[in-house]
Order: sequence, then C-alpha cells, then structure tokens
Amino acid sequence: MNGAPQLPLEGVRVVDLAQVFAGPACTRILADLGADVIRFESASRMDVTRNLIITDNDGLDHHWLRSSYFTIRNASKREMVLDLAKEEGREIIRKLVAQADVVVESFTPRVMANFGLGYDVLKQIKPDLIMCSLSGYGQYGPMRDFGAYGMGLEPASGISSITGYAGGPPIRSGLSFTDPYSGFVGAGAILTALHYKRRTGKGQYIDLSEQEAAIPVMAAALLEYQMTGRAPERMGDRSDFAAPQGCYRCAGDDRWAVISCEDDAQFGRMAAAMGHGEWLEDDRFSTVLARHQHHDELDAAVTAWTSTRDHYDVMHTLQAAGVKSAAVLDGKEILFDPQFKARHHFDTIDQPPLGKRPVQRHVAAKFTRFEAKARRHAPLLGEHNEEVLKELGYSDEEITQLKTDAVIADKPNLPVPAQFISQALKLPYERYLEAGILQAVESDYREQLGIAD
Amino acid sequence: MADRALTDLRVVDISQGIAGPYATKLLADAGAYVIKVEPPGGDYTRRLGPFPGDMPDREQSGLYLHLNTSKRGMTLDVSVTSGQVVLKKLLAKADIFVCGEKASTLRAWGIRYDDLKADFPELIVAQVSPFGATGPYAEYDGNNLTAMAMSTIMYNTGEPDREPLVTGGQAGEYVGGVQLWIGILAALANRSAHGGGDHVDVSVAEAAASADEYNAAMYGFQGAIRRRYYSRHIFGYPNDIMECADGHIVVIPGANGFPSPLQPDTISPMALLMEDIELDKTDFFKQMGERMLRWREFESMISPYLKSKTAMEIVMTAQALRLPFAFVPDARDLLSDEHLAERGFFEHLQHPKAGAITLPGAPFKMSETPLHQEPSPLLGEANAQVLVEDLGYEKGDLTILSDRGVI
Repeated sequence: MNGAPQLPLEGVRVVDLAQVFAGPACTRILADLGADVIRFESASRMDVTRNLIITDNDGLDHHWLRSSYFTIRNASKREMVLDLAKEEGREIIRKLVAQADVVVESFTPRVMANFGLGYDVLKQIKPDLIMCSLSGYGQYGPMRDFGAYGMGLEPASGISSITGYAGGPPIRSGLSFTDPYSGFVGAGAILTALHYKRRTGKGQYIDLSEQEAAIPVMAAALLEYQMTGRAPERMGDRSDFAAPQGCYRCAGDDRWAVISCEDDAQFGRMAAAMGHGEWLEDDRFSTVLARHQHHDELDAAVTAWTSTRDHYDVMHTLQAAGVKSAAVLDGKEILFDPQFKARHHFDTIDQPPLGKRPVQRHVAAKFTRFEAKARRHAPLLGEHNEEVLKELGYSDEEITQLKTDAVIADKPNLPVPAQFISQALKLPYERYLEAGILQAVESDYREQLGIAD
Repeated sequence: MADRALTDLRVVDISQGIAGPYATKLLADAGAYVIKVEPPGGDYTRRLGPFPGDMPDREQSGLYLHLNTSKRGMTLDVSVTSGQVVLKKLLAKADIFVCGEKASTLRAWGIRYDDLKADFPELIVAQVSPFGATGPYAEYDGNNLTAMAMSTIMYNTGEPDREPLVTGGQAGEYVGGVQLWIGILAALANRSAHGGGDHVDVSVAEAAASADEYNAAMYGFQGAIRRRYYSRHIFGYPNDIMECADGHIVVIPGANGFPSPLQPDTISPMALLMEDIELDKTDFFKQMGERMLRWREFESMISPYLKSKTAMEIVMTAQALRLPFAFVPDARDLLSDEHLAERGFFEHLQHPKAGAITLPGAPFKMSETPLHQEPSPLLGEANAQVLVEDLGYEKGDLTILSDRGVI
C-alpha cells in the first residue's frame, strides 16, 4: 500500500440532503469511512447549525464559516449550495443520484416528494440506490407530519421518563441525545444495506424514525411494565444492579466522580481503598441488601472520603483497587484526558478560516488497517459547487449561467445584513457566567490546547 | 419471507451484558448466523431483572430476552483450554468474533486479535470494553455509569446545585453497542474492498463521547466550559420538559415560535398557542437571553396555561401552529401508543419459558430486507446442534464436556 491508506467505503458516493444533527452525524461516519459525501444546503435556508456556537463568540462577520457545531459534524464532506426550488437545481441532484450509491435526507416526510425527489422517482434513475430518510417519527403513521426537533425526541422515545432525580420530574439529557444516537443507527443501517447490495446488487429504502431508533434503550423498562405492572421510577444515578452506586462530590468547584460496587468483593475492595475496613463489620453496609437499604447513609460515608480528594485521584485510587469509578469530565477536561488523548478521540483539523481545531471522532471503533478519522475540514458554504459540476460534465459557461441564475451560490441569502445576525449570535458570556450556565471562559485556550498559530 | 441482509455472515459472540449483545442482536435480526457463547452459568444479564412477577429466573430476564433475539445459544467455558479448543473450531468457520473482555483477560485466554490473526487471517475480531483495549485506562473496569461520566454528557445533565445525572436506560451501553455494530460493518466493508480481517476496538466511554453535541467544541472553539443548567441548551430556552394538567410535555418554540423582528406585524405562534397576543410585547417573547436568564419569571408566565391543558391538547394545538412540541411518554404510554401501533413498531413474540412478550421492534425499517426477531435462546439450547452438526463432535462428547463443566 502506498500513499493514503485505503478506506472501506472508497468509491461509495453519498448524496447528503440532511441538516442539523442526526443526519449529518450519520453521513460524517460514512465520510470518515471513505465515502465521497456531497452535502447540500440552500442559500436562503442554510443549515441552522451554521448559526450555533460561533468561534470565539466575537460577533465577527461570516458567522456561517465560523460555527463549531457545523464544523464537528461535517468534517470530511464536500458541499454544494443549490436552489432545489429551481428545476436546474433538481436536475443536478438527479444527475448526482445517477452516479450515487446512497441518498440520505432528514426533511419532514413529503418534502422530498414535493421536490420530485422521492425514492420512487430516484430509484428510476438509479435502480440499486440505497436511500435513508431520517425523520422524527417516521414516514407513515398519524404523527408523521409532526414537526420534530432533537430536544423533543429523547422524551418522545421514553428515555426522559427514566431520567431524573428520585421523586423529581422527568429530565432531558443535557444534549439532544437521540440525535447522535439515531444518526449512528442510520449509519449502521446504511452499512447493512451496502453489505446486501454488495452481495445481491439490490438497493432499498430505509425509513428511520428517530423516536423508534432510540426506544430499544427503553427495553428493560418496557419489559418491566409487562412483567410486573410497574413503569420504572426515576432513581437519579442509582441502580438495582449496584450499591453503592452514585455520583459523589469531590474536592474543588463542582467536581464529581462516579463509583459503582455490585457485590461484596467489590465493596470490600472499595472500603479497604477508602481506609474503612470497619464498614465490612457494620450491619448497615456489610451485605448487598443492607447497602441498598442504607444507601443514603452509605453515600454520606463515601462522600466524606471523596469530598476531600481530587476527582481523578478518586478514580485512579479506586480503579487501582479494582473498583469501578470514573471522574465526571467537563468539555475542557475530556480534551486533556490521557486516555482520550492516547486513543486519538479528537483529530486536529485545519479549518479555514479558524485554524487548527479539535474535532471528535464519530466512528468510535479503532482498527488496525485504517483510521476512521476526520479527513479534511468541514466544507465552506458551497465550496465544491464547481468541482462537483465539472465532474458531472458541466462546462464553464453552464456553471457561470447557474451562478447568474442563482441555482448555485457560495454566499447565504440573508434577510438582514450579515453583521446584524453575527452580533445577535453572540452569547452573553458575562451573564451566563454569573448565572452558572458557563463554568469559565479561558482566553488562552488555544495555547493550552497547543493549537495556537 | 423477505430476504435478509446479512445471511452470508457467521458470528461467534462471547460478550455479555448490553453493548456486545446489542451489536450482535442487530446483526442477528438482519439475518446473520450468530452463535451466542455463554459461560455455563449463563450471560450475567440472565441474572438481571426485570423478571415476570419479580421471580428471578435465568430463562426469563426481560433484559436478556430483548438483547439476544435471533441468536443460537450455546454454553462454553472459554476460560479453560478445553473450551478454547472448541472456540477456535467455531472461529475457523466465522467471519466475526465478538468479545467484551479486557485485553489482559483475552491474552490469558489466548484469544486476542494478535493471537488469532495468523490462523484466521480473514477474521474480524470485535472487542468492546469500558475504556478501550489500549491506553493508560485499558485495564480499568467500568460500566454504563463510568462511560457516561467520561463522555461530558453527564456533567451537563441535571440541576446546577445537585449532582450530575446519568441518562436513563443504560444509554451509554447502547451507544457502545451501536458503535461496535458500525465498527464490525465497517471492517466487513473493508474486507470486501481490500481483503483481510481486522481488530475492531471499541471503548464504551469513547462511544458515549462521540455523541457529545458541543461540550468539547465550546472549549475547542471558544474556550468556554459549559456547566449543567437544568439540562438546557446553551442557545435557547425553553426547549424543556414542563408540567401540564395531566403530566409533562416538551415545550419547543423552534425557529419560528417567538416574534420575529423581520415580521413585526405577525402574531407569534407561541402567543397564539397561549391565547394572549399581548405576550408578544414582553421581553421574554422578544429576547432569548431574557428567557434563558430570567427563566423562573418566564416559566411562571406560561405555566398557568400549561397546567390548565392536557398534554394532548397542548401538543396537538402546538403542532397545528407548527411548533414542534412533543410528548413525554413512559413505558406504559409507549406500549399503547397509536402512532407506534400503526407503524407496527412493537413485535409480539412467544418465548418457550416467558410466554408472550412484546419487544421493541426494528430501530429502522428496511424495504427489501426488514429486520426480524426470533425469541432469545434458552441456556445451552443449541449445544448439540453446534457441537455435533456444525463441528462434528460425537454425541457422547457432549456428556463428557458437560460433566467437566466445559459446556
């Protein structure tokens, strides 16, 4: 093997009409595995994530090239900006589909059909096409036309009903969890369909409902209801599988570590590591049932030990003793953690105009024959318009005409001056710090990360 | 019956718990021939509830019955030489070997990728472990909670003055399973394209961290460190679960819910929903930052409306106004949900011991090769089939292997 290592999906072309989080997470996986992913945006309706978490929060213009949110999810892809309301735009999609293996889209149902780009049409153009539609609630059923945002779909899948403090209300995770989860499921579904196509030459259509994709996470709760008549209650960080189990306060401001002991042996090792061998003789703690019954007292005793120690010290001390424990990491700590570093969870990409930036892996697996990493920067708006059109055989004159007719574009069509929007996207750091929404803002973060110019 | 996508694949799976078995369930339900190899005492999830009527029975663990559909079940002690010899005969016929042990354990058993690749050059060895097979924490123990702790998701979930919260349902283990499944399918694609087996090494902690939305990005692009704040997004409030007359709903105004400075003469959908057009004149409706920072006032402004209506009334009205509100169902609600019923999502199976059970159906619908679930195996159910028919052992060997605790 010479040059760049061979990747599994070399030669696979993906037409990516997905936006926001779930769909782009799906196609980022395909792109990192070597597929040629060409994503599409509209100049008048850019991917909304181009407005989220703007680099350095400085209100500078061209915010659409400066979104961290967009960058981490769209590295490794190419992009065209196309007006699908125009027949010439749809014609470009059809030409690309004729050469594609996979189409991914994440519109609400009917949108693709309204563009004349439904699966029934596209498979006439490419009979062995694999098409995956990722939507909130699926392509049919009474809720198919429901508007769906990621923040609603984790609750809709039932997961929020078993997330929360004991006795408290249902809680969402601090992210739109089912978005990445269902995006990953979509990538696996497409890889399954590609395997079938390699074997039989047949394509197919995949209807992925984000709600349904995540319901298997609820399986134990669904079976508990069937088997016992109880819908499980929220129990914070505790579990029937372990006691003590929880998230314990450590030294420092808002530092925490988790600890989990399933059996007598693990509990014995924990007690010894904490210098409390006497807990094994204490009737409140000495048996599995006693530890569940006296969990509050046990938590208080454990906290007395953890609260004077650094959260990483708690983890390393307990792990050295053979006890399950981990530091609860924030968004900075994970970037410096020795394990994530050693295994290259973050790739550093050179993102114009932002310079070097860390981008998390979307394929978690490590392989010996190839690396499924971010291969290049996330595309600038319409960065590959001409490149892709030339590959399709468009002449320079035709490309100029498409530009003139605003079928393709490399700048957004904004309803107000860009500077107005860029300013409006600034987060009120000072007030967020005061309210505790942010823990800290560190101006020397690029030096700390070793990515300064 | 429809064709299935992976009928040409043979998988040997010695993993236990959730992540490994969920990955091989997704392969088995798609048609792969999966031999689930359990220790003679059974996969430890057989000991985990729920159980019918709260009576523990290793043949009726709800979690096990969900995670092992469509697999052949055999018992084998792979920690002893006699078991390892049988295992290697299985691997000789397999495309994929799945294991959930740490590197040191696999080394002791002589079944690491490095131990196997010379004899089985086309074999894909897929290993899922709490922190990964390499790196300073490779030998650390872990579970769902440790993975979620490392992922940054937990730090940002929960109330600011209370401890960070883990997402319910062992979500980190499931992400680990999905990422393992992706890794296996990627290695298969690579074998098809370029030849050769591979080691697929998945850390559940990294799998969970791959789902991070923007915690690390905020630091890597802004130097800002997020902190949990009622699990709310940094860029908008609400988008939160709130109380209504008969439970909870998710209030999501979306991109167009509040007044737009571009359309000053239009009544906002949120004001229409709450039947009070004066709301559009308030700072809370005009400015996201005010809602976010003075959320208690905002909440007290909208909660009388929410508490006067049922979830059905609010969500249906909101959706008609193109506001992407959502329901907050629990297990019972999902099982009787009309939308899921019309989509035929749940699958009803007859298990020889547990009887009629309803399982979550396929996580995606494939038009040509739909996933399909057969009941999970009884302990050692396929011992004779695998050992005698597949591997050519004599029937008498089964008794000897059983006598000595190998199967």
